[in-house]
Amino acid sequence: MRDLLKHPVFLLAAAVILLPLAVRPAIASEIWIFAMFGLGLNLILGYTGLLSFGQSTFFGSAAYVAGWLLKHYGINVVFALGIGAGVGALSAAVVGYLCVQRSGLYFIMLTFALNQMFYFIAYQWTTVTGGEDGMPGVPRPALFGIDFKDPLTYYAFVSLLFLVSLWVMKRIVESPLGKILQAIRENEVRAQAVGYNAARFKLLAFVIGGAFSGVAGVLYAMLFGIVPLEAIGFVTSGNVVFATLIGGSGSLYGPVIGSFVFIWLSESVSTLWARWPLLLGVAFVIVVLFLRGGVVEAWTRFWTWRSSKQKA
Amino acid sequence: MKQIKRRDILILGALGAAGLGFPAIIRAQSKEIVILGLWDQTGAFADVGPLNDRGMKMALEERGMQILGRPIKYITRDGGTQAGTSTRRAEEAIDGEGARFMIGPWSSGVALAVSEVAKRKKVLHFFSGGTEDISGARCHRYSFQWAASPYTAAKTVVDNFMKANPKAKRWHLLVADYAFGWSLEKYVKEVGKNHGLEFVGADRHPLGEREFSNYVQKAAANRPDAVAMINFGGDAVAGAREIFNFGLTPKIPLIMCWSSGVEELIQLTPEIRENLWVGSNFYYTADTPVAKEFVKNYRAKFGTAPGYAPSAAYSMTRLMLAGFDKAKSAEVQDVIKALEGIEVNDLLGRMRVDPATHQTLRPYFFLRCKGKAQMKDPLDLADVIATGDTPLPKEYAACKDIGSF
Amino acid sequence: MLYALMGLGLSLITGILNIPNFAHGALFAVGAYLLVSAVNAIGNFWIGLLVAPLGVALLGLAIEYAGIRRLYAAGHDYQLLFTFGLSLILAEGIILIWGPVGISQLPPPLLRGGVDLGFTFYPKYRLFVMVVAGLLVLLTWLFLEKTRYGAIMRAGIENKEMVSLLGIDIQRLFTVAFALGAYLAGIAGALTAPIRGLSPGMGVDMLGIAFVVVALGGLGNLLGAIAAGLIIGVAQALVAAYWTEASTVVIFAVMAAVLLVRPQGLFGIR
Repeated sequence: MRDLLKHPVFLLAAAVILLPLAVRPAIASEIWIFAMFGLGLNLILGYTGLLSFGQSTFFGSAAYVAGWLLKHYGINVVFALGIGAGVGALSAAVVGYLCVQRSGLYFIMLTFALNQMFYFIAYQWTTVTGGEDGMPGVPRPALFGIDFKDPLTYYAFVSLLFLVSLWVMKRIVESPLGKILQAIRENEVRAQAVGYNAARFKLLAFVIGGAFSGVAGVLYAMLFGIVPLEAIGFVTSGNVVFATLIGGSGSLYGPVIGSFVFIWLSESVSTLWARWPLLLGVAFVIVVLFLRGGVVEAWTRFWTWRSSKQKA
Repeated sequence: MKQIKRRDILILGALGAAGLGFPAIIRAQSKEIVILGLWDQTGAFADVGPLNDRGMKMALEERGMQILGRPIKYITRDGGTQAGTSTRRAEEAIDGEGARFMIGPWSSGVALAVSEVAKRKKVLHFFSGGTEDISGARCHRYSFQWAASPYTAAKTVVDNFMKANPKAKRWHLLVADYAFGWSLEKYVKEVGKNHGLEFVGADRHPLGEREFSNYVQKAAANRPDAVAMINFGGDAVAGAREIFNFGLTPKIPLIMCWSSGVEELIQLTPEIRENLWVGSNFYYTADTPVAKEFVKNYRAKFGTAPGYAPSAAYSMTRLMLAGFDKAKSAEVQDVIKALEGIEVNDLLGRMRVDPATHQTLRPYFFLRCKGKAQMKDPLDLADVIATGDTPLPKEYAACKDIGSF
Repeated sequence: MLYALMGLGLSLITGILNIPNFAHGALFAVGAYLLVSAVNAIGNFWIGLLVAPLGVALLGLAIEYAGIRRLYAAGHDYQLLFTFGLSLILAEGIILIWGPVGISQLPPPLLRGGVDLGFTFYPKYRLFVMVVAGLLVLLTWLFLEKTRYGAIMRAGIENKEMVSLLGIDIQRLFTVAFALGAYLAGIAGALTAPIRGLSPGMGVDMLGIAFVVVALGGLGNLLGAIAAGLIIGVAQALVAAYWTEASTVVIFAVMAAVLLVRPQGLFGIR
């Protein structure tokens, strides 16, 4: 039994099953969707070492396009998810192409600025996106006869997709591609010297991350029945970065934990105090100044400290 | 590494089970009637939310927080003036707290999104907003509109302004680029035709605009007899200010076709309010017994006269409660059926709900602002010089079928 | 012109400290709000205009001292998170202190109304802002180009190690640079207050534009930032006259287009 407990997959499966007992299925779904979003970001951030501060571009664009098609053309769920991945990947390719040639500060600013551009396009193109009011009326069509209108059924679907995406991401990071990306993160010049076209691999990381973000975006739109403008805004971009960092960008599961913590924080605190972004900002500051490794590091530091106390 | 994994998962488990805390099971309180006020505390309408809350609470407290012998549980949620947040909070309140009746939010665009939730979840939804879609193209059985139809507004404003200024035939329009702006612009032009008005120019500006210098320059270039603004809130205030800065007013009159009343006017100075004519869904000097009582109580409680926001919330709540009374039931569908065709003499005067469109037919107010010399106290900003309640003619009604439950 | 101010300030900070300052927009907003409070407290617009940006510069000093200096080696993600968190704290702080409602601030009586330029009426206050902002940009540029300390700052952008090897206190350089950048943002905000009116979120849009200006001008190139700011401002005004909705998007589109052709920005050297 102990061995079983060590196996993260088992524990994740348990979390997936137990979660809807603790929170409403809608929030539970949101957690897994956000975790998927974080996985996409972490490929770029944690594994390739690029701080992309415009992930919501891919998340939001996919949501809008798929939402539009779902709403006006009644496409089916599988197609919608495929579109989501495609749009996410495509927008990531565009943004990535413009950005990977730069590094460091430049890169961050560019991803942010391009995110803003997409945001303003969505804001102004009210006939399509609804502008500030978002795109309401996104349906949740049935698949293979299963009706997703029931929140619990949809949750099962979402969590299943999440587990699949986690498995896919695991395979990617453990593959040669994953190793190359990490090599680029550690020392780009050396990787380049060994013969890897760093720019091309960075772009690839972008595209894959974008695809994950896109799928998450479509699931998000279907969850809430609306594509809000914020889905493509910089706050969403910031949130996913924060969630990933707080979970710990060094591990595959970091974004998952971060998603839990973040969604929990924002859902519970926001109903208590309208000024809760202040606390969020303070949390950011504290994490940065004192808890760099995120929850995972804090936890291990705590245990190391405790076990050293026990020894003494 | 394995150690860390186990700890991760322990965190996962702990957070998942213990901390996340909203019970998925609705607490079965069968006696309580849960009413939701979707009032924004953050975002663009953050200042309005608390005012709405005041009005709604006053209306509920007048009834001793109960109706039909059952206690009322009043809950509020902050929609953040955003469609995404508002719809989520609404759903959470419906699923988690058992809310069956919603009022708000203030932004008409967001309210349209929320009304979809109302339709999906089959709960009663009342709001006040500038959009005519909810009683028009997107009408459905569960949502009701409190604000006057843009047609009523246009008719009241144009007819009465022309009575006072028969020579001002050349108008320039400054319109918010928003569904409500387009509707009101359309009707102002319609009604204007009957007065022989010439619209020398019409510019659209994005919502939330604060930079009006370009628009005002264009307006000035057309040499109009009057400038009419079709916007509200901060946009209207910024526009009025810029028009004044450029020297257009007070030489020529400025018309605010759809205003919040006190809340906006108070942000302007008396100089800017010179020659300012305002159309509003409510003004606190309205001459009805309910209004007088409400204003008196509001003044006593909050030290200031109520503007449009709390008054709208107050009136909507009262109207909804009247529906309960008439239906003698707290079932959503019974109350809806009772509201259809209801007629009351309430805050605004004679108010009726059109069963075919769920639009409230009621008076719209037209005001003339006072110059500094005529103001008897700092809040004596304007006089109501007329009201109008011509409903939208049937040929314009976009709501062909209100639908079923 | 305001864009040039913001871009210059941000370019200074990013160039010298190599930090993505996501709080730059929030500093802009604080400048505007401090102006309102100063004017309400002192009763004189001109003094308020002098005082408010100094307040922001002080705030910048405090931020640099308490937080940023710990993060020079920390890596961009943490610097970003820190300044992003800071921007949230500042924005929410504004709401807590001044309320979530939009406030308005009138120009001083001397500058109200418009000037008849013959072909069009132009508000006096806007002319004033153009002139003052232009002067500030000029002054800053002169400081950076002609004075010794300015030269040190520019050298700091180019090569930090060399500068510290030369015995110059690099930490003080950083602090001054940040405070100066904050000052520029603050005065841009204070100047803008009577034009646009204030709201707690006014910093956010400005932030994006500031980043565009810096990226367009070339990271670390101060003159480039000024030029880029002017170009962007003009482009936006031109587009606004014909296709109002696209006027904000155009800013980003211009940046994207230029970067496609010249990834280092118009004048960038790196």
